[in-house]
Amino acid sequence: MKAQPRGTDGSLLQSLPWTLAALGISLLPHIPYLPIWITGAFVGCAAWRYVIEKRRRFLPSRWIRGGLALVCFLGVLGTYSSISGVGPGSALLAIMAALKLLETRRRRDQFVLLFISIFLVMSSLLREQYLWSLPYLIGSMLIIMTAWLRMSAGENDTARQSFTTGGRLMLYAAPLAVAMWVLFPRLAVPFWAVPVDTSRAVSGLSDEMSPGDISSLSMSDEVAFRVRFDAAIPEPRDRYWRGLVLNTFNGRKWSRSSEPGVGLPASEQISVSGQSFSYEVTLEATSQRWVFAMDMPMSWSLEKTLMGRQQQLFRETPIEQRVAYDVVSYPEYTVQTKLPHYLQRGYTELRGSNNQRSAALARQMREAAASDTAFIDAVLRKFRNEEYFYTLQPPPLGSNPVDGFLFDTKRGFCEHYASAFAFMMRSAGIPARIVLGYQGGEINPMGGHLIVRQSDAHAWNEVWLEDYGWYRVDPTSAVAPERIEYGARNAALDGIGLSWGFSAPSELLQKLTLTWDALNAKWNDWILGYGPDKQRSFLEWLGMDDPSWRKMLLTLVAVVVALIIGVSVLMMLRYRTPSRDRASILYDRFVKKTGLKRHLGETAQDFARRAAAESKLPGAAIDKFTAAYLDARYGPETDDAETRLRAALAAVT
Amino acid sequence: MQRGNTLEQLPTSVDAQRNAVKNAQEVLGQIILGKDKQISLALSCLLARGHLLIEDLPGLGKTMLAQSLAKALGLTFRRIQFTSDLLPADIIGVSIFRQNSGDFEFQPGPVFSQLILADEVNRATPKAQSALLEAMEEHQVSVDGQTRPLPTPFFVVATQNPGDQIGTFPLPESQLDRFLMRVAIGYPNEASERELIVGDDRRLMLDDLEPVAGAETLLELQKSVQKQNVSDPLIDYVQALVRFTRESADIEIGISPRGAQALVAAAKARSFIESHSGVYPDDIQAVFPSVAGHRLKPAGDTRFRSPSELCQHVLDSVAIP
Repeated sequence: MKAQPRGTDGSLLQSLPWTLAALGISLLPHIPYLPIWITGAFVGCAAWRYVIEKRRRFLPSRWIRGGLALVCFLGVLGTYSSISGVGPGSALLAIMAALKLLETRRRRDQFVLLFISIFLVMSSLLREQYLWSLPYLIGSMLIIMTAWLRMSAGENDTARQSFTTGGRLMLYAAPLAVAMWVLFPRLAVPFWAVPVDTSRAVSGLSDEMSPGDISSLSMSDEVAFRVRFDAAIPEPRDRYWRGLVLNTFNGRKWSRSSEPGVGLPASEQISVSGQSFSYEVTLEATSQRWVFAMDMPMSWSLEKTLMGRQQQLFRETPIEQRVAYDVVSYPEYTVQTKLPHYLQRGYTELRGSNNQRSAALARQMREAAASDTAFIDAVLRKFRNEEYFYTLQPPPLGSNPVDGFLFDTKRGFCEHYASAFAFMMRSAGIPARIVLGYQGGEINPMGGHLIVRQSDAHAWNEVWLEDYGWYRVDPTSAVAPERIEYGARNAALDGIGLSWGFSAPSELLQKLTLTWDALNAKWNDWILGYGPDKQRSFLEWLGMDDPSWRKMLLTLVAVVVALIIGVSVLMMLRYRTPSRDRASILYDRFVKKTGLKRHLGETAQDFARRAAAESKLPGAAIDKFTAAYLDARYGPETDDAETRLRAALAAVT
Repeated sequence: MQRGNTLEQLPTSVDAQRNAVKNAQEVLGQIILGKDKQISLALSCLLARGHLLIEDLPGLGKTMLAQSLAKALGLTFRRIQFTSDLLPADIIGVSIFRQNSGDFEFQPGPVFSQLILADEVNRATPKAQSALLEAMEEHQVSVDGQTRPLPTPFFVVATQNPGDQIGTFPLPESQLDRFLMRVAIGYPNEASERELIVGDDRRLMLDDLEPVAGAETLLELQKSVQKQNVSDPLIDYVQALVRFTRESADIEIGISPRGAQALVAAAKARSFIESHSGVYPDDIQAVFPSVAGHRLKPAGDTRFRSPSELCQHVLDSVAIP
């Protein structure tokens, strides 16, 4: 085994800080996802390596490095109990890059490190591709390029020079990147699937509803989905985004259980009338299967998506990445006008429920009412007229939450009202269920689209009435009509603003938020959502007939070749002939004008004398030109020498 | 002006400096007739801080040129007649023991002058020659272990007679190299010669010659010459010339880097005198035979009979960039 010199000679001092910076910036987006010890080890190794170089110390021996590598590998294995996938993969990559620093003694090792940096940067895109990823990508590539150029820079070259050179190179490459992005054929079925990062938490609504679930969501500004309507945006009171339906109550929690698959499929039990709305939803990843659509969706474009028996849309596979789909909805609809008896029984069941006071109240109110609809009105009136309040911070409820809410606390959020309402309906023998989803949404005037946030999460009821079918009732609107008209945040602000210590956002801030959101929507639409369909329509818009992948590839090759030629020509033009050489070119033109041939070693003055004698050109002009030429070519460099020379040449006729 | 010496009114502008040079050229031209080119070369050599070797037959005005140069420029002048028995001390000076002071006192030799005419330098022994050449190179002399600086400006005009072969010690190439230029004067043309014959005695005219400048002015001029612009294409030209002399089959030893430096230095002075905006190839060509002639060693079988022919061949063979 050949012994390698272990000492460092400080020769990397010039480029090492930049290499470290490149590694650091490539690690940056991984830090929130990595266990803290990996970041710590990374910083430690970087500092250690820098000190070694600075003080001309020895690099750690083979045994120490091997030991560290083993420890780190086991650490990753212990943390993730796996070494495949985005999480453990990037962790392993980061820690091994840090360890690679400890054996970096030559330029070749630095090249490897910079390749790892690029790989780390790219792997961060497996996790998320936000709008700000773009400036991050550009910035980090710029630093990596600078580090690259620093390695080959001379001692007198400043970092600034390397930086501008790197920037220029990226600028030259930018049109190529754009061409690749636009033209490289997009495939409907990708060659590979991005491994899902299982560390991401499930977001949005869950399959169950117990008190407090939605109010915790209500504090989240995170975007659930964005909607772009083809025509007018429907009124807030029509914007009920159906998610999932809860039909089982165990006395405390509402949960989901599927309806027995008998009778007509759900979609055939719907009849619609009136105006339709068609729109495109861009749904953020939820890791759940629910596909949100406005009541009542009649057609949708998302693949592998079905309508459940309770008219909820779901995809067969969880939504792990942002998806976009088109939907057509009809706000006026009737559903399941005939409900089999066993189903009616199922929708009135109150298993293991102890909320006796509420049940008694319901039965008493039903008896007092003339019909089911009168009863519903009476319950809503009760919520409206009695001392019920809408608040995001309801007091805790006891073991009988419905009783506690209806009789004692009287304060709650949509889920409390929906839960209590459904309970009362079922107690009175009316089939009822809870729909979870979103309601309302904010219109972004910048992008013209609707933003639906987690804070718009909502729960409402559907009751089944003979001949009407399932009929939507929103008890929350009885208590807090502003929740429906102006959104959850505004409705709750009165109640919580003071206790949470924030006031209504200023107009400017809101404007900025909306602008940012509009940019994000565009980014999602056009950059991340640039799939086969968008590519096709975009290329058609650019004028390509019937874009096929063959055509795209050919065009791509042509564009790439043209760009390379273009950049080369640009660089050639940028290299302007020095002024002195241009003077020489002008002199050659002058010689041509005289019709004589300049002898080898003949000075300009000698030639001028000969030209004055032998050619028909005026001697004064020749002398003037010769003087101007000698000034321009051999005199001190001045700005106007060339101008005078050109003028003098023009005068030689 | 209290000093009453108009010479010390230093010309400040470059134009005034050029005027001084023009005046010098004029008065010199009145004494040495028909030799404007040689006068210009001698002045160029002086302005380029180089030393001049005049090589020609006796009676062509070598001494007259040196003397009138000194006179016109207001320099202190000494003439050293080199003979075979000349000793270094005769040039540099000696330390003499003074009995009354009990001390050695240095008696400066003729070399402590601003302009020295070393007449018939090839007649002296190599030892005496090298004493002078060392002083030329170092601008100082060492006597009895003590270094003494020579006056500034310091300009040596040496003459040698190419016709004499018996009893001479021709300067070796390494020492010829110390001279910036080697100039031949040549016979005057008929009109000039006629005037020399019938006109005033040149010696008397020399006595009447009024200086047109002084040592200070000369130093300023030398500084200005240094600033003369040298462009990249011109350096290309010089390098092409030098390369040609090294590669040509007609030349055994080409121009050394020091020779190239000398070429540019002399051309700078010439371009200054000619009021050029920078050094032109024309300036290079004008000084080339004088600067390169004694530095080139022609090949044994060359078809060129004289150094000047060889130099012209070089100039005619190299394209001007």
